[in-house]
Amino acid sequence: MNYSFDFASVFRNFGPLWEGLWVTVQLTIAANVIGLTLGFLLALLVMSRWAVIRLPVTLFIEFFRCTPAIIQIVWFFYCVPMLFNVFLGSVTMGIMALGLNLAAFNAEAYRASIQAVPREQLDAGIALGLNPFQRILYIVLPTAVRNSIPVLLTNGIGIFQQSALVAIVAVQDLMYQGKTLATQTYRPIETFTIVALVYFALSFPVSQIVGYLERRREAMAS
Amino acid sequence: MSDTAALVKIEGLHKSYGGVIQVLQGLDIEMKAGDRVVVIGPSGGGKSTLLRVLMGLEQIDSGSILFGGKPYISANGSGKTVIDAKVRRSIGMVFQHYTLFPHLDVISNLILAPTKVRGENKAVARERAMALLTRFGLAAKANAYPAQLSGGQKQRVAIARALMLDPRLMLFDEVTSALDPELVAEVEHVIMQLAQQQMPMVIVTHDMWFAKNIASRVIFCAGGVVVEDGPPEQVLGAPKEERTREFIERVFHIKH
Repeated sequence: MNYSFDFASVFRNFGPLWEGLWVTVQLTIAANVIGLTLGFLLALLVMSRWAVIRLPVTLFIEFFRCTPAIIQIVWFFYCVPMLFNVFLGSVTMGIMALGLNLAAFNAEAYRASIQAVPREQLDAGIALGLNPFQRILYIVLPTAVRNSIPVLLTNGIGIFQQSALVAIVAVQDLMYQGKTLATQTYRPIETFTIVALVYFALSFPVSQIVGYLERRREAMAS
Repeated sequence: MSDTAALVKIEGLHKSYGGVIQVLQGLDIEMKAGDRVVVIGPSGGGKSTLLRVLMGLEQIDSGSILFGGKPYISANGSGKTVIDAKVRRSIGMVFQHYTLFPHLDVISNLILAPTKVRGENKAVARERAMALLTRFGLAAKANAYPAQLSGGQKQRVAIARALMLDPRLMLFDEVTSALDPELVAEVEHVIMQLAQQQMPMVIVTHDMWFAKNIASRVIFCAGGVVVEDGPPEQVLGAPKEERTREFIERVFHIKH
């Protein structure tokens, strides 16, 4: 192999990567805000006893869970403006697409945790005279939300990585800046290695936190 | 209420699961305010179901229950169970698997229902809770979480939690079955304390020693009906019914 690596040319042009990283962080945070709140709402709706509410919400969730994220993003960027005659700026559109995707996955995480709260906990709530609303508010939700945190974090860093997909619709995130820089410097291997390391450096600690939380939960359950 | 008036009156109680598995097949039980009833019997005989029905946790097929002379649970014509939630609040229950709320510390477990259900002042409730915990030797654990407690401690907290609502009847559903043997005594001791204070109670247990010591009355329940009902010396010592005798012999044989 006679390829000589030249990381210096990437480091010399690090400015755009910083800007891209900032956009990626914004996308991730905003998508997580949507994912955590809308996902919770969707989880409650999908457990509704009324099919009129349950079925459309199920369809919404399954659409996002069962199609590739890249298609959702492309579809969002090209079809939504045409169908509804709105275009809100590329970053906003990216946030919407990623946020809705994350909301669908988080809804499932919330739902699974809510349904995993043992029936006995509710019996205890009845025996203590709590009404159905109080049982949900004081017993089910605190336990369920706590138990869903590891999955919510995993989904959250998942969307941090998925956010790289919005580069294909010209959102100037870390991936987009990386692509541009790779073309400018003719150093794609070095550039993408560094971009990958940046994604890794930010995801890895969160991934470790998830592992810690899961171990702690197991210890608490025993 | 005088000691002789019926605290609980169960009449013609039938309960099945999905209309197929008959669990309770016509129970008639009258319980006085001074009674400490221990229900014994083979698994699947309906003991725990009886307690769960009494707590208002189950639908029934037919029959009725009066509590303190007032209608409490009944099955109406269309097969729906009607439960008076206000009456239900005067009954407390402790379960086999503790059922403490894992996200709340001990004292918050105790004051949740009094503050939310009765609107009791938080400071007042905390004070009452501390008094109860002190009485049960758990004052030092007030700020511990359930996961940090032993099984025996958890079960004593669960008893204290139920007592916070000043129940007029306590139900204990195999509360020592999940405990390591060396932790059973501390829980039974607390229940004994309540018995000394004349707390009416219904206890489902497999611990015959405990049954003998605490019961003022023992009911042998099998196949969803009351087979024998009488003082502990009779039911446990010299049962009249053949099925009771067989069960007692088998249980004591296993124990000895």
